[in-house]
Amino acid sequence: MSRDELLAKLFNPEGKPSALEGIKVVEISASNLAGAMVGAFLRELGAEVIRIEFPIGDSLREVSPYGAKVKGVGIPYLIENVGKKIVRLDLESERDREELRKLLLSCDVVIDALKPGYLDSLNLGYRSISSENPKVIYVAISPYGHFSKKAKEMANVPDSDLTAQAYNGYPSLIGNPSVRPEPLRAGIWVAWAMAAICALTGVLVALYERLKSGKGQFIDIATHEALAAIHVYPILVGYLFGKSRPQYGVIDYILYPFGIYKTRDGYVAIATPFDTDFRAFLKLIGRWDLEPDWRHTIDRVTDDVDRVLELDREVRKEIMRFTTKELIKKSLRRGLLPDAIRRLTGRPVIVKAYTLKEVLSERHWYIRQSILKAKVNNKELLIPNSPFRMSETPGRIPIEKIGELLKQSGSESQSKS
Amino acid sequence: MSNYFEFVEKFFKSGEKREPPLKGVRVLELTHYIYGPMVGAVLARFGAEVVKVEPIGEGDRFRLGAVWARMFKKANLHYLVLNANKYVITLDARNPKAREILFKLASKADVFIENLRAGLADELGLGYAKLSKINPRIIYVSCSGYGQYGPLSKAPSFDVSAQGIIGIAMKTGWPEVDEFYKLPDYFGDYFPAMVAAASILAALCYRERTGKGQYIDTSQAESLFRIFYDITYLSLAGEEIGKTGNVDPLAIASGVFATSDGKFVAIAIMDEKQLEALSKAMNTDLLNTCKGMLRSRECVSELNNIISKWVSSKTLDEVMEHAKTYGFPAAPVLRDLDVYKDPWRWERGSIIEFNDRVYGRVHIPNLPIHLSATPPTVKWLGRPVGYHNRLVLKKWLGLTDEEIKRLEDEGVIGYWDQAPGMCPPDAWDIDNDPVFKGERDEYE
Repeated sequence: MSRDELLAKLFNPEGKPSALEGIKVVEISASNLAGAMVGAFLRELGAEVIRIEFPIGDSLREVSPYGAKVKGVGIPYLIENVGKKIVRLDLESERDREELRKLLLSCDVVIDALKPGYLDSLNLGYRSISSENPKVIYVAISPYGHFSKKAKEMANVPDSDLTAQAYNGYPSLIGNPSVRPEPLRAGIWVAWAMAAICALTGVLVALYERLKSGKGQFIDIATHEALAAIHVYPILVGYLFGKSRPQYGVIDYILYPFGIYKTRDGYVAIATPFDTDFRAFLKLIGRWDLEPDWRHTIDRVTDDVDRVLELDREVRKEIMRFTTKELIKKSLRRGLLPDAIRRLTGRPVIVKAYTLKEVLSERHWYIRQSILKAKVNNKELLIPNSPFRMSETPGRIPIEKIGELLKQSGSESQSKS
Repeated sequence: MSNYFEFVEKFFKSGEKREPPLKGVRVLELTHYIYGPMVGAVLARFGAEVVKVEPIGEGDRFRLGAVWARMFKKANLHYLVLNANKYVITLDARNPKAREILFKLASKADVFIENLRAGLADELGLGYAKLSKINPRIIYVSCSGYGQYGPLSKAPSFDVSAQGIIGIAMKTGWPEVDEFYKLPDYFGDYFPAMVAAASILAALCYRERTGKGQYIDTSQAESLFRIFYDITYLSLAGEEIGKTGNVDPLAIASGVFATSDGKFVAIAIMDEKQLEALSKAMNTDLLNTCKGMLRSRECVSELNNIISKWVSSKTLDEVMEHAKTYGFPAAPVLRDLDVYKDPWRWERGSIIEFNDRVYGRVHIPNLPIHLSATPPTVKWLGRPVGYHNRLVLKKWLGLTDEEIKRLEDEGVIGYWDQAPGMCPPDAWDIDNDPVFKGERDEYE
């Protein structure tokens, strides 16, 4: 068997157990998608997740790109909630609050993505639940967290990915000031995703620790905090340089070139990790004349951004002369050399920047089941698979349960509208 | 309720603290740049004993990857943070004697992490097949661009290349400007690294129950796909969303708006309740602006125009006061220096002042994962190439000083080149450093 075949066999998910079998999760996240993602990740790893929904104010199923719906529910709702058990409760009602208390007292993990302090005000927060269920792992996810002065001051401000990006300083880095000077949003939901994966990591650390101590704990995640702290740079740049980076959209601050470039017929992503790679790149585009001025990393990576942009203008102009295919072919030729030689001669990494349609026509993603195909309403939906690619306990998105989810959720929203 | 925030704060500050959660978990990593090292970094902050293997002399090439090429005491502070709490050793994986040592270390490890190009670990005889034979309980993690098998697995996978190959590169930009911007700050490394760390933790929980190790094949592509709703949208609506400027397509209205005092505020209205709140703040009825058309492209842009006009007559502080009073998502757009100086982050401990034995006082981020009883901690920063050779060979393998000396003489292990990024700081008295000599650990 070839290596590919061996690995494909090793990672075949059929008939395998899940890592978190037997773990019971109660997710109370209303319309906060970051909270729903945390529950979703735990579900992928095999936990049993109960999602609490409210009669009013639970509008996650409306949240979708331009309102696109599958039988009354939006795309994020579908992806994040398939496989969860939906329980509807009205927290205004004494009986339903009692019902929720029972669930919270008997579960392993609570996800609280509501307004900070709200569950506590109903006597259903951490201090009440943990006194009767000391094994509970309680993860809160909110814009500014459940402690600190600012958290209290901002408690009434709801969460969004865009505001979390902004408060993490992300849009200040994106864009091209010579074209449009205002800050620009990252085109995917980076701040929510990062906060959610941090919350998941916290829960798993706590679950592992609980195996030894027998005790649970409180985990506090702030969406407006996580991204910048994980990325490190905003803090290190502020500390080391005492200033902020300008908008850096078309260039980079530790490598050059490192970005997306326009060719004669499309776009490529180019990276030249080392000086040798940069020199090889200059040969490849026929601009060896630039070499003396830009030979060293410190010539190309400097806080004198205007100077780097001079080089970048030359490089952009040159790349436009080639087709995408020509550039890739030239870079691949260098890639064929043995490692030891390639290290000396350098090799720029050039790949095509694909449109989504092109990405989805790649066989690779279906061979690996990176993307799943689900039939809903006689329509084939593509759904990204779980990223937890584990040989013994594969992460799973239970697409076979989409029908069940739609039955639980779709009908009600239709009757409402 | 009134004292809820004070209760939580007190609970985090002076509630029960327990032993580091991953104490006793041994990790061996063959990693470089950001993706692989970040995986081990997460485990190390929670108390795992992480040994990082680097080549002799230059070490991990990211040691040179400093922002604006500026070194801090002859080191890349970013490297020092990414490799905090780790033991750094050198071994040349192509040297047979060094490989013997690697195998011995692997036989004592709970977790092995590598982010070499896909397939290289197998070629070097260090793949899962080999290491799981030596140590059947091992949790082996490969980090690559597109996974370890499949036709694209060998494609190059720098952060920006992965963004290109999986279509994320075409997502960020203005619809009317013919340019695309990458996701900055290596999101394409950091997010997948967190996915890998979470997978390891889940595998540790599973192993605790069953005694079984496993192989984990994490990739940048599959990690980023997971949060890429555009894939499903394309299959449902038959069109690509593409780049949308500052509009979040999930929102009813959204944008980054200029205030009257020359600042920027981000506002995103995710549901009707928030639209109602904004309506009250603006004293207009936004709900009726485009009846029945909410979330359509036309409605989004019409609402954004109205909001933009309103914001332009308000200062940033005024907008934020409204957001607090009425309850809609709004936030100032910070820059690096604002983030670094934000008292809130210092108060919560996601930025800390740390006094390192070798590098002295620094300001660095800590993991923003606040656990009340077992918080993440920084114990020491990254170290020069080969710094912990002697300590690890003694502690893990019980080698004697003479045996280690012989390995040094034969060039099986080695130390730093005299170059920035690799060597100790200028004034550091390395010959009298008991940790370097392997006489004592980094902390007791």
